Amino acid sequence: MSFLAPLFFAGLAALAVPILVHLTHKERKDVVVFPSLMFLSRIPYQAVRKQRIRHWLLFALRCLALIFLALAFARPFLDRPAAAAPVRSLGARELVILLDRSYSMDYGDRWSRGVAAAKRAIAGLGGSDRASLVTFDLTATAATEPTGDKGVLTAALTGVKPGAGATRYEPAFKLAQRILADSRLPRREVLLISDFQRGGWDGRDSPSLPAGTTVNQVDLADAKTSNVAVTGVDFRRDYAEDRERVAITARLVNRSAELRTGHSVTLELNGRAVETKQVNVGANAAATVDFAAVPLPAGTTRGVVRLADDALPRDNAFYFAISRGQALSVLVIDGREGAAPRSLYLERALEIGDQPSFRVTTKRLGSVTASDFAGRSLVLLNDSDLPGGELGRRLVEYVQNGGGLLVALGDRAAPRDRPAYASELLPATADAPIDRTADRGGTLGYIDRSHPIFEVFSAPRSGDFSTPRFFRYRNITPAPGDQQLARFDDGHIALLERKVGRGRVLVWSSSVDGIWNDLPLQPVFLPVAHQIAKYAAAYADERPWSIVGQVANLPGIFRDSTGPGDAASKAEYVAVAPSGERIRLEGTARRSVELREQGFYELQRAGSRGEPHVVAVNVDLAESDLTAVEPQLLTGAMIARAGADSTSSAIEASTPVELERRQGFWWYLLAAVLLLLVGETLLSNQLSRRIAVPR
Amino acid sequence: MTSNPLPGVQFLDPAVLARIGNLELVARTVVEGFLGGLHRSPHLGTSIDFAEHRAYMPGDDIRRIDWRLYGRVDRYYIKEYEADTNTNFNVLLDVSKSMSFGSGAVTKLDYARTLAACLAYFANQQRDRVGLITWDEDIVEIVPPSAKHLPNVLHALARATPQRPGNIERVFRKLAEQFKRRSMLLVISDFYEDPGKILDAFAQLRGRGNDLMAMHLLDTAELEFPYDGATSFEDIETGERIPVIPEYLRDQYRTMIRAHTERIEKLCGDQGVDYWLFDTSMPLDYALFAFLSRRQFLTRVR
Repeated sequence: MSFLAPLFFAGLAALAVPILVHLTHKERKDVVVFPSLMFLSRIPYQAVRKQRIRHWLLFALRCLALIFLALAFARPFLDRPAAAAPVRSLGARELVILLDRSYSMDYGDRWSRGVAAAKRAIAGLGGSDRASLVTFDLTATAATEPTGDKGVLTAALTGVKPGAGATRYEPAFKLAQRILADSRLPRREVLLISDFQRGGWDGRDSPSLPAGTTVNQVDLADAKTSNVAVTGVDFRRDYAEDRERVAITARLVNRSAELRTGHSVTLELNGRAVETKQVNVGANAAATVDFAAVPLPAGTTRGVVRLADDALPRDNAFYFAISRGQALSVLVIDGREGAAPRSLYLERALEIGDQPSFRVTTKRLGSVTASDFAGRSLVLLNDSDLPGGELGRRLVEYVQNGGGLLVALGDRAAPRDRPAYASELLPATADAPIDRTADRGGTLGYIDRSHPIFEVFSAPRSGDFSTPRFFRYRNITPAPGDQQLARFDDGHIALLERKVGRGRVLVWSSSVDGIWNDLPLQPVFLPVAHQIAKYAAAYADERPWSIVGQVANLPGIFRDSTGPGDAASKAEYVAVAPSGERIRLEGTARRSVELREQGFYELQRAGSRGEPHVVAVNVDLAESDLTAVEPQLLTGAMIARAGADSTSSAIEASTPVELERRQGFWWYLLAAVLLLLVGETLLSNQLSRRIAVPR
Repeated sequence: MTSNPLPGVQFLDPAVLARIGNLELVARTVVEGFLGGLHRSPHLGTSIDFAEHRAYMPGDDIRRIDWRLYGRVDRYYIKEYEADTNTNFNVLLDVSKSMSFGSGAVTKLDYARTLAACLAYFANQQRDRVGLITWDEDIVEIVPPSAKHLPNVLHALARATPQRPGNIERVFRKLAEQFKRRSMLLVISDFYEDPGKILDAFAQLRGRGNDLMAMHLLDTAELEFPYDGATSFEDIETGERIPVIPEYLRDQYRTMIRAHTERIEKLCGDQGVDYWLFDTSMPLDYALFAFLSRRQFLTRVR
């Protein structure tokens, strides 16, 4: 208990007044006539006049009224046993203030309460104490070095705002551990100011604070929370009259025990509100909002699904970047002119599906020109000879520059007639095929399910590779560096990958026409064909959004590098954050940018004047679940590791309302004074009546 | 003195009676009401005691024949009773200034004179001779006992005015010469005197064979001392004043007044003097009942 105006205690001197009044036996002017004084006169006079306080109850009422009055004017308030109240006799202390700046701290008045708690801790620093301010969300940052200068700490605190990151306690405690370990002060203390999001601690974080460290926590979590968040969007593309349209569906989650009705949800595309809908979301339930399909313009479209504001505004907007679907252009070379076409199954398989869609062009070898390779994602040599001469050289260049080549070695692919450059693209191949007709065909015996092509088939019942029968295939000999992705049951290679420059060559040692095998007739053919084509074309799914805390690898985005040390990776980039901050990435050391803000990042090669690559960044929605972990569980775990002489205690956070409540005792005291004075009046009147003199 | 009201008895507020100027009317009201109360109570006995049987004589009222005895012995006997007739009943009323004190509507003297009037009326109803002596530091007025002096007694009571302090010892020494014949003497006073001196005074009268009774009247304020606030207390008789803080000595005062009354009662008991302590806030007929019933009981014991 402390007092805002302790000088008013001087008013307690007024207590002398009732004491004097009650000790002073003022003699009444009227005289009591009594039949006889024979008994009264026998009582010693001193006993009659002894200075004693009369009317104890009345005296107590008057004294209490004065005491309460002085207390009320002194403005008492409750002071918590916080770090703000150092025990100076125990020596100087090293205080680390860990202030949670995750976006859930934007909920209600949590941030103002947290800052107030930090300010109290700073104000409570003793003369020889030092403190550090550490803010943390996904990462922890020391806003100040350990200092005893309260001004520095307060200034650092003023500049801190809640970010867009989610809560992680481990980095904060690790930083606190380092600061405390470096300190030589006798007492070490950590003040954790947080809303204790459950998602921030998985129970396995294991920072070990120095022994003897005291961990105090200020719990800012609210007992009852209410939050509706946009948790994601889905896209459905369709094509009408050669125009691509997209229908967007937003997912909403209500993380409260109350039904939320009439929530307006707005779809914005390129900064313009396209459609607004009203939606009801049940208690602790999810809902979806379907927006009408809209045509997609050229380039990247920046979209936002925005909710009406609630107590936690960060998760009310969901950002995404979407562009027209990029169909993979595939050139199928289907043997020489005059030969029977053998690409029917392949063409039909690639024409199905839109993620991505394939634009297939089938040509005979003789009609292919060098310009046919331009803009192709994939060239498929289906049971065909390799082109020779200039066309062959352009094919090698195409592959070396990042193009994809898929070769199916059927009966028309004559290994012995290969041109000279072929060894650069293809492995050595035996002229005579292996015939498995006698044993009713071979099967696939090994599949590298860790490879991106077969990764999707790694789950049970997600692709039956045991049913296709392979009657003939070619025996290929891998070169060093070639990767065997699948083998037949007799050990011969079925699928082989070779990296050539920035491109990929995939060699299928059988045919895809249903003659040497029945694979095209099996259900697994379609997904396998898609996976092989996508991989060979180096297709990567476009991510419509990223999460705060992820990293954007710019050489990868701009396809400037195939790996570390690549010469092309010396390009310089510029990233513009949603806040407008420009980040220039120069040299080989800085190739990526951490996405720390919510919104749209613009990424560009330095000096480029083209349209920037847009990355939409959303907050981690795990943070929007406002369920809190028990603070004692977290700090208790830290303390358990810090040593037996470490302690943990809770410090109550103060809202302005609460501060007023803690300082609002004076109202009660004044009310008590009023009651006491009323009681005093009644009692003194009663006593006065009792002194009536009988006559 | 018991403080519990008895069922069946109509209590009369002394304050109400004090407003009735006619003492005879007051006395009659109290006594008749009291007798009515006695008749309703089977346990209260009668005022006439059986004395002896004697043989029936011609001319005797046959209603007085004891028919039960006749049934046993086959002879006529008449029941005779001991009647308190032809007795002098004197009231010795203290009219000193201290008797003028009263914290309520009734002073001790008002209460005393009403009580004396009632008893005189009652005695006169029994054909006793009634007399009155009022006194303070000396004898103020004497009404000799006579069966016809009830009006005189009542007039003397009405005239009594407290003027001087009291002196029981001197007065009673004088009075000892007054009573040539054995009498019932009822002393009504507040007895602000040393108990030893009071008993010495009683001894003056009791030695003459008189049947002595003492009624000690005290106001509630004298018994409870309910004062508050520092003030001066003035002796009503001497005018002496002393400063007093009542709340500090209330307990001591109560202890002393209780010891005083108990001492008087004990000494009276030792000398065969009937003693009653009356609080003037008690109803008059209750005091009357307490007196008569105890008197009857004591008579039977003797």
